[in-house]
Amino acid sequence: MSDSKTPFTPTQQPARSGLFEETFLRKLERIAILSKRAMAGQLQGERRSSKRGQSVEFADFRPYSVGDDFRRIDWNAYARLERFFIKLFVEEEDLTVHLLVDTSRSMDWGQPNKFTYAVRSAGALGYIALHGLDRVTITALGVYQNGNGGYFSPHRGKQNAFALFSFLQGLTADGQAQLGYALQAYAAGAPRPGPLLLLSDLMEDGWANGLTALAARGFDVSVLHILSPDEINPDLTGDLKLLDSETKAAVEITGEYDLVKRYRKGLADWQEELRRFCGARGMQYAPIETSIPIEELLFARLRKHGILR
Amino acid sequence: MSFLAPSAFILAVLLPIIVAMYLLKLRRSEQVVSSVYLWRRMVRDVEANAPWQRLRRNPLLLLQLLFLSLMILALAQPFTWTAGASGQSVIFILDTSASMASVDAVPTRLEAAKDQARQLVNGLADDARVTVIAASDQAQVLVSSSQDRRQIFQVLDSLQTSMGGSDLSSALGLASAIAARQPDTEIIILSDGRVNLPERLGIQGRIRYFPIGTSEDNQAISLLSLESSAGGEKITAFAQITNYSQQDAQRRLELYADGFLFNAFDLEIPAKSQRAVVADDIPLDTIMVSAVLAGQDTLPLDDQAWALTAQREPAPVTLVTEGNRFLETGLKLLPGFTVTLMKPEEFEANFANGTSESVTSAAQGDDNASQIYIFDAYVPVSPGLPTGSLLFIAPPRSTEVFTVTGLIEQPIPRLVDPDDPLISNININQVNILDAIQITEPEWARRTLEGEVGGNVYPLLVSGKIDDRRVAILAFDIRRSDLPLQVAFPLLLANLADWLSPGRSGGIPSQMLPGAAVTLSLPPDIVTATVTRPDQSKTNLSLSAGRGVFADTTQLGVYRVNWGSAGEAHFAVNLFSPQESDIAPAQNLPIIDGLQTIDDQLPMQARREWWRPLGFTALAFLLVEWLVYQRANLARLLGRMPKRLSL
Repeated sequence: MSDSKTPFTPTQQPARSGLFEETFLRKLERIAILSKRAMAGQLQGERRSSKRGQSVEFADFRPYSVGDDFRRIDWNAYARLERFFIKLFVEEEDLTVHLLVDTSRSMDWGQPNKFTYAVRSAGALGYIALHGLDRVTITALGVYQNGNGGYFSPHRGKQNAFALFSFLQGLTADGQAQLGYALQAYAAGAPRPGPLLLLSDLMEDGWANGLTALAARGFDVSVLHILSPDEINPDLTGDLKLLDSETKAAVEITGEYDLVKRYRKGLADWQEELRRFCGARGMQYAPIETSIPIEELLFARLRKHGILR
Repeated sequence: MSFLAPSAFILAVLLPIIVAMYLLKLRRSEQVVSSVYLWRRMVRDVEANAPWQRLRRNPLLLLQLLFLSLMILALAQPFTWTAGASGQSVIFILDTSASMASVDAVPTRLEAAKDQARQLVNGLADDARVTVIAASDQAQVLVSSSQDRRQIFQVLDSLQTSMGGSDLSSALGLASAIAARQPDTEIIILSDGRVNLPERLGIQGRIRYFPIGTSEDNQAISLLSLESSAGGEKITAFAQITNYSQQDAQRRLELYADGFLFNAFDLEIPAKSQRAVVADDIPLDTIMVSAVLAGQDTLPLDDQAWALTAQREPAPVTLVTEGNRFLETGLKLLPGFTVTLMKPEEFEANFANGTSESVTSAAQGDDNASQIYIFDAYVPVSPGLPTGSLLFIAPPRSTEVFTVTGLIEQPIPRLVDPDDPLISNININQVNILDAIQITEPEWARRTLEGEVGGNVYPLLVSGKIDDRRVAILAFDIRRSDLPLQVAFPLLLANLADWLSPGRSGGIPSQMLPGAAVTLSLPPDIVTATVTRPDQSKTNLSLSAGRGVFADTTQLGVYRVNWGSAGEAHFAVNLFSPQESDIAPAQNLPIIDGLQTIDDQLPMQARREWWRPLGFTALAFLLVEWLVYQRANLARLLGRMPKRLSL
């Protein structure tokens, strides 16, 4: 786990992208980030916008009013009804995909490493979004990174993939997230809501407030809840004093025979609580164990959870 | 509840120490986890910061405190008072006499006594020493100062009634000797009180008496005997039935001859009295007569009796005489003897071969051991004497076994030992003797009669054993005295003949009391005999010169003795014991110094100690504590087991 501090050494990663191989990126181009709601964008794109505009997809009729483009009058309707109706089409615009990566120290844990996993997932998701002509912005949720470069401003176009990858590679998990505040701040400061993917272990109080704030701001939130195998199945016996790697807080536990059982029950309860919480607010919740290969995650799991298509 | 060692409660200071150690518990080993978020969520409801509440949740502490408390309690040796024997050493005297077989207690008095003893043993202090003495005819120490309860119970289980009487004096003597060695000894007598007690006995220790039994309803055959008439033409049975109960009783007496019922009598027996029954119609060839009291009473053992008719095989007697009418007549009238008369010339002729064996074999054929030779005023001239018992009457000259030194005139006879069996019932004082041979008294012989002549005393009748044969010398010729004219003569002759023929089955008494030793007098050349008991078990008996002692007469009934090729005799063992048949239990034993019976005793108190169960419970808690401590490992072990099995 000591090497998890520098997870992206050149020897480990392919030269071009740093994060992914070429063939993998080709595969990624076949999938896209699903946006459940139509949202207004800035530029012409491939996303259905809440606006009406010029696409091939019919949206609605509305009565003609002065000033409308008479090229869009539905003459067939006029023939039947002898009134002018304007045909409205779905506008297709771009969207800003928000990727939030938890860079708190607790993420730098586990085998496979949660942070590595989160970064690679964020890279893949970012590449997918760039390829889908969406804007991509990445924010590292960590106290020390919010100010100094922990923010990847919205970029558009596949040519920005390399910049995105290098930004991700520059991240380290050594901060304190204060997840609730960070999310609330992000919700308040984001100029334009869009699909938001939160990659975090959520191991902090305040996630509920943060997620509620995001949902209230109109983000289409997907929570990728990343846990490492040893968090799901801890191998602990005896009377222990557990130290938090992030906050250094201590918890004393007594090694009772059903300790692990109770822990797992608590974890399951928590995940169920998260699932209900997200479901109630129209968010997607995907519990992810880092032992799942990234490919399976992207091509199977996230599709199943309705985050990718 | 009181405590033997209350000082152990000082150890209770350890209890707060344990609690303190829990409060100042050692630091847990630290382990870094990614986040304690989940763990905190999990323990939030469990953990309370207050140390006392933490203690409350700790099963290990509770178990340890319990264990320590129990151990301290056990070390303090608590005890309670219970009913029972209290001594540090207890001697049980169990009466195993025949009367203890009475069935008024269930199932028998002895079993009731055993139960009582077991209860008392259970109530004893754990380290009390127990001695068990079975008292019947003799006292027998079965367990001596044992702390091994299992051994004691085994011995109690194996106790059985003997058929004998009960003699408490030896048992009490033994108990007293044991009690003298051990302090704080209690002697407990479990008996029905039908016992022999010494007049006075100084006993160490406390004595307590537990009377056993309630009923006195018993009738017994107290006598059964058979008499042959003088001519042997008739056998008469005489039975005596005794009612020991306080009520009149009606019983039926059945008489069996060799197993076949031949007569029965319905008897009404008044309380505390006897009825006699005479039956004279017994078949002549009967060997055994048994009597049975039909019906039930409390002691069934004495409702049966056996008697045997006289079984005498005639013993051969060879009388070598020139002619002696008195002797010839006297011998012929003796029952059980066949007399052969010989002139000295005939004897010499038969003796011609020069060996005594040939003579005897010619004279008798076989079974020469019981041969009796009577030499009347004659001594065999050839060297050596015939095999068998010898009686010399007025031997004219010396032989190899005695020396004749002269003649004495008019000795005045007198008895040497009035109890000598040879002269029992004989009044010799009126016998006048003209003259007698003077013999020197041989070393092997014992003087029975002696004659005084002018202040000197000479032997007149000596008897003794040379090797295994019996030899008697009567120093005077009976024809030269007035002995034949007196009553003493046939008696003396009969006594002499009986003494000289020890091998006859008449040497076995026909009736015995249980437990008594039977002296078997069989022919001298018989080496072994087989005794068959009433239950058909057999014992081989080694005999010395035809004599042996059989003491295992604990069963009631008819015993059979077999020897040689065809020798057979019987004897009967009957419980003709008023002491045992009179089963009315005595509520008090006759005075013994320091005797307590349970009626007038001090409250019976025995100390019952509790440290053992407490200690065991404490150990159980210790085990549980260990299991709880290791529960995580155990759970893992148990979880791994099925996987291994499935592999």
